[in-house]
Amino acid sequence: MHLLAGGASKEAWAVDAEGSALLVRRASRGVIHAATLSLEDEFHVLEAAAEAGVKVPRPVAYLGELGGREAFAMERVEGETIGRRIARNPPPGLDVQLADELAKIHAIPPERLPFLGSGDILERFAGELDSVGDPHPAIEYGLWWLREHRPAPLPDVVTHGDFRIGNVVVSEGGLEYLLDWEFAHLSDPREDLAWPLVRAWRFGADDRRLGGVGEVAPYLARYAERTGRTVSEEELYWLEVLGNVKWATGCLTQCRRHLTGLDRSVEYAVLGRMAAEMEYELLYLIESR
Amino acid sequence: MSDRPTALELLEAVEEFLSSEVLPALDDQRLKFRTLVAMNALGIARRELETDEPGLGEDEIRELARRIRAGDVPADAHAILKEHVAAKLRISNPQYLERYE
Repeated sequence: MHLLAGGASKEAWAVDAEGSALLVRRASRGVIHAATLSLEDEFHVLEAAAEAGVKVPRPVAYLGELGGREAFAMERVEGETIGRRIARNPPPGLDVQLADELAKIHAIPPERLPFLGSGDILERFAGELDSVGDPHPAIEYGLWWLREHRPAPLPDVVTHGDFRIGNVVVSEGGLEYLLDWEFAHLSDPREDLAWPLVRAWRFGADDRRLGGVGEVAPYLARYAERTGRTVSEEELYWLEVLGNVKWATGCLTQCRRHLTGLDRSVEYAVLGRMAAEMEYELLYLIESR
Repeated sequence: MSDRPTALELLEAVEEFLSSEVLPALDDQRLKFRTLVAMNALGIARRELETDEPGLGEDEIRELARRIRAGDVPADAHAILKEHVAAKLRISNPQYLERYE
């Protein structure tokens, strides 16, 4: 049994039991966003996704508390998850495969997962920013601009909440599995659609606007074909600004896990300085219109 | 005053130690990654000690954030913020700004 690299917010243990290669996902101390699911609820989301035919590792069992922290077991899968490597050499078809999975997730009946929360996203992030303590006028500016330009919302659907390169397992054949369901919630479907467009998730391949792996148009066309929901690239612009507010704030709250002593780690510490990248991007995006 | 090495020189010494002695000796991917992160952290601290940019003061930053939250956004807010954030990036990740050139 050994601890695997990766996931900054949860521990991942490789365990071999009765001939099965398992991955035990266990809580760390503290969470990135206040609305993070418990491991038990995340396990239920994984089960619902599997039932809906979404490509996910097979859920095995919720394990309750292990050494004082919740955990669950799922199939341990092989493949590439490192964003930089995927963006350097993206498998053909990944753009439309992402849309296929999203269409299946967004079709999960919300009543199947009654514990999922919704709520006003701008209020949520203003609240999270307040919890950081130090003032961040560029993020405030982003929130102000978002309030001023808010589009009419689409009806809520079940969303993954962290749908992007880095949370997908990829092989030469394309998308194999979707991981990390801890931020699943009910929201405007465009929140998931726009999240992989955020520059931080293009992993250096800035010119391929869809996650550093493809173009946005075929992705949206496939999504429309599968869901009947026609979303324009223009509509995603507001959510891309929101995505940068979201990840800037996420970096700051993760850094506080270190600063408060909740979970000391150099990785969390430097995230506090990374927030400026998303601040610059949101100012750039707002200026580009 | 303290003796040399200065704070800056001490950071450089640790950065060099990590890159030339620790990193090549590591096999564990997780430790390797965290060592690179630690080197990055030292680089940020080093650039912050080296900078002579004045930048916005703490009170100015707090006041600007308060005004924007209240919806009282100064006309030149965007330009001021862009320069403020660029100055932070010149310390935290100077290469990042090249992506906008």
